[in-house]
Amino acid sequence: MTFESSLILESLPRLMDGLWVTLRLFVLALTCGTVLAVGMVLLRISSRKYLSWPVMAYIYVFRGTPILVQLFVIYYGLPQLEFIRTGPLWPFFREPFFCAWFALTLNIGAYTTEIFRGGILGVNKGLLEASKALGMTYAQTFRKVTAPIAFKLCLPAYSNEMISVLKATALASTVTIFDVTGVARKIVAETFAPYEIFLSAAIIYLILAWIIQNGVRLLERRISRYAN
Amino acid sequence: MQEVMNWSDEFLAGTFVIIKLFFISLVMVITWGLLGATAKLSNSRIARGIANGFTVLCRGTPEFLLLLIVYFGSAVTLTSIARAINPEIRFLDIPPFWAGAFAISLVIGAYATETFRGAFLGIDKGYIEAAKALGMTRFQVFWKLRVPMMWRLALPGFGNHLLSLLKDTALVSVIGVEGILFTAQQASSVNHKPFTMYLTVAFIFLALSTVIVVTMKCVEKYAYRHLEAAR
Repeated sequence: MTFESSLILESLPRLMDGLWVTLRLFVLALTCGTVLAVGMVLLRISSRKYLSWPVMAYIYVFRGTPILVQLFVIYYGLPQLEFIRTGPLWPFFREPFFCAWFALTLNIGAYTTEIFRGGILGVNKGLLEASKALGMTYAQTFRKVTAPIAFKLCLPAYSNEMISVLKATALASTVTIFDVTGVARKIVAETFAPYEIFLSAAIIYLILAWIIQNGVRLLERRISRYAN
Repeated sequence: MQEVMNWSDEFLAGTFVIIKLFFISLVMVITWGLLGATAKLSNSRIARGIANGFTVLCRGTPEFLLLLIVYFGSAVTLTSIARAINPEIRFLDIPPFWAGAFAISLVIGAYATETFRGAFLGIDKGYIEAAKALGMTRFQVFWKLRVPMMWRLALPGFGNHLLSLLKDTALVSVIGVEGILFTAQQASSVNHKPFTMYLTVAFIFLALSTVIVVTMKCVEKYAYRHLEAAR
């Protein structure tokens, strides 16, 4: 067994094609999942039980089951249902990329809702009382006081979630998507050189994770530029 | 429902497989976590470097990719070693179950390293100094003071790692371990009811993670039992 570096160079263009798919999946799922979470957290913090309980159930189910299982239920499972196959959404659910995006979005939504809730609960009560005393409405207070502060409080947890999502995109390769991991698996099946190819793929993910971590750190510094 | 009942024996067996996998990796996770945290807090530069490399690598790469590296990598290495001894051998691998347990434990072990490190740092220095003044050896200080005091602080974080560990056991079906996801794959290829089968898998995982959450609540209560009166 030898370590062939030429193999890495040869497979690099194909891995880059995979990187494009990974990035697209990552950005699309993260954006939509975050938007979903913003809506969900508004329901979650509501004092009306009929609004907050369904969201709690959603979070409980999606945080309690593996993403791989969620993905399989959506991609392999849903076609069993008659109304999905005959329904208008069938062209979407037939696509593996759409299913991976859908599963990841729902998953990110569940985790991020809890992160946002933590941030909102962390906002100092005194500030809320002050804005009430100034005569601000609930909506104004939320938009101008709670949300910006909560956003800052959530950032560290949110950057961890971003890295988890990046890692979760690798699961898309199990439903025939050729992301970085999918391409790597295909090349390994052809060449049977797992170390060279899988380690190159791992380095790609490490670089992406590093970029995310430092990007968020810069953002954090910029946001808290008035704090000290 | 009938379809699930037809496969209930297989699902039960699959559940046992993932529970076994969970506990075996758990032992490894605690080992990696303690070793990693000790190395990160040690004075040795080399130990710190190795531990940092371990956590960066295992937290930054997808669990799934790590699993593939461990399983296929070990298979290639083993096969080439075996061929050097006996050219007749075509293919040799370590059992997927053990490769899976090892790979999962590395990922969660890296997270546990950080949790344990934080918890070790949270121990009041005064206790350690008092123990040293009493003439306890470093080994005694570690097992009788640091670990019992650390694990209480590490519990909330560690509970989350246990949930991740459980969910990661689903991955090993991809390399052919007969966990519940594998059962569902087989069952749905026979009865063409994938939705029912995979939903069953989701329910089993949900039940198991509920058990973990409830257990961790009890363990936390037990860990803080000496403060019960003060509350």
